Amino acid sequence: MKFNDLVAGLAFILIAGLIAAGAWSLPNPSQQPLGPSAFPLILAGLLAFCALLLAWQGARSVERGPALALADWARNPAALVRLLLVPAAVLFYIAAAETLGFLLTAPLILATLFLAGGVRPQLALPLALAAALVMHSIFYLGLGVQLPWGPLEPFRW
Amino acid sequence: MLDAYMTALGMVLDPYVLAVITASAIYGLVVGCIPGLSATMATALLVPLTFFMPPVPAIAAIVTTSTMAIFSGDIPGCLLRIPGTPASAAYVDDSYQMTLKGQPELALGIGLWFSVLGGLFGTAVMMAASPAIADFALGFGSVEFFWIVMLGLGGAVFIGSSTPLKACIALLLGLLIAMVGMNNPAGQPRFTFDSTEMLGGVSLIPMMVGMFACSEVMRHMIADGSAPPVVVKKIGSIFANMWRLTKQYPVQLLRGSALGTIVGIQPGSGADMAAWMSYAMSKRFSKEPEKFGTGHPEGLIEAGASNNSSLAGAWIPALVFGIPGDSITAIAIGVLMMKNMAPGPTIFVSNPQNVYALFLVFVIANLMMLPLGWAIIKVASKVLTVPRKVLMPIILLFAIVGSYAINNSLFDVGLMLAFGALAFVLEENGFPVAPVILGVVLGPLLEEYFINSMIKSDGSLLGLVDRPIAAVLAAITIGIIAWTIISSIRGGPRREVTAQDL
Repeated sequence: MKFNDLVAGLAFILIAGLIAAGAWSLPNPSQQPLGPSAFPLILAGLLAFCALLLAWQGARSVERGPALALADWARNPAALVRLLLVPAAVLFYIAAAETLGFLLTAPLILATLFLAGGVRPQLALPLALAAALVMHSIFYLGLGVQLPWGPLEPFRW
Repeated sequence: MLDAYMTALGMVLDPYVLAVITASAIYGLVVGCIPGLSATMATALLVPLTFFMPPVPAIAAIVTTSTMAIFSGDIPGCLLRIPGTPASAAYVDDSYQMTLKGQPELALGIGLWFSVLGGLFGTAVMMAASPAIADFALGFGSVEFFWIVMLGLGGAVFIGSSTPLKACIALLLGLLIAMVGMNNPAGQPRFTFDSTEMLGGVSLIPMMVGMFACSEVMRHMIADGSAPPVVVKKIGSIFANMWRLTKQYPVQLLRGSALGTIVGIQPGSGADMAAWMSYAMSKRFSKEPEKFGTGHPEGLIEAGASNNSSLAGAWIPALVFGIPGDSITAIAIGVLMMKNMAPGPTIFVSNPQNVYALFLVFVIANLMMLPLGWAIIKVASKVLTVPRKVLMPIILLFAIVGSYAINNSLFDVGLMLAFGALAFVLEENGFPVAPVILGVVLGPLLEEYFINSMIKSDGSLLGLVDRPIAAVLAAITIGIIAWTIISSIRGGPRREVTAQDL
């Protein structure tokens, strides 16, 4: 997923504009000459300037290529699925950790990722369980982090 | 000073601290040895754990891990021709050729022995120089510090990078991320989108874990993960020829260590650049430059000493001014700030024992590298075959739990993912990630120094340059920027060095 410099530059100009607009409307209750909006405005200005240079460079270059060039991996559905599994795994953890508890969520995530990566099934499940238990011990027993228990609450140790 | 050193020694020789150092050493050696897991990633993953430690063991863990990982990055470079960390890339041809000639023990021995010597050299310079510089910097006001931060950031973007414009954009992005929250001179919530989680700003730990670990897992997912087979099964005596080589190439050792330390001190250039520059210098001054790249020890010695000495060098500006020289020290400064030990010249007066403890950790870590490095080399062929398809999911889970652990907050887990995705997209498009981290760490300071200086001068920009030291610092900063712009307009030769490991 490689954008050419023209597109990237224009995107950053847009971002700089949004930030500047947000900074502009910040309240300044104590009426300081350099209030909370001063520094973000300077930075947004510099960002817009650099982004403009980038866009200009991108527009000038001959071998610019398409607006969005797909790298090899992006045309390979298997690689794409593996990549999307990463955000999917994190989002699943956020959604499920409280209800399912760590000791169910974590092995599920690990086993899925192991299988997707080509680990043999008879190995993936025990490995996922073992890794989750080790991690649970480090953070829950070792550091006292309150990892959620979910339905396993009665077995809390 | 001697008293403070004795106190520091007592702090470091505490069994808990020693246990932390040993564990981090083994961890750093193993992670650095596995291709695809960088020293920066090793350090970032450790940060959530250091959150639960007192200051001295926390910083000891960071120092030890990074020192060990930089050395053990030489191992896969030598055995597989894949540098374990970018810092080992400069001399991977020479060391792999030695392996092909049946002398892997020679290449690995040089990597280990001269890494230790270079690391000790850099540490000695750091111990001697930083208290003196700190003493000098005690008289600095907000104007001087403003320019020092500018110099640090300018150096990072304009010296250490092959694409200054993109690095500049990345840096500004980082500075803007630092604006989130109400940690600003006006005390006003900014860019929080009315979320209470954002009031304290973007939490540093989930951000660093996301940018250096989560993005790494994503990159692994799109690469074909098959590691090449290890050809070497037997590794001979590692230290056999080291004394002879030390006597044969003392100039190379000293030159590499000295250049590495200087490159490390200079903000924005890290261990990888030190290694490249030293390798080039060694070849240039060598009597037999034609042998470079064919398994010749000379460049290996100079560059191997150089990358480890740069690590200690980078700590000088980090400790004295709070300016990180590369992304590992940026992470370390974040940890120090978290422990209410914000670096700067005053820390040498208020907490000298903590600073000296850090010096001693460097010495211990480098000495410990000899036996532990020997051990990892002996088992290297096993470590190298640990499949990454098993490691990467575990790293991802560790990143999730580590981000969660800091505040028991799932919001932070989402933050981790967001920054992981950001780093992934940026790197895919040729934007370096290290400047973003430098920007986030230094953003609040830069704003504070800037606003304070402007208040003192009643809003006149001339107030930024009307003190002599500030004027000199300003001239250097502007000189670096101008020089980069001029040379890029002239289309001068682009350096091959990248800021990957920054």
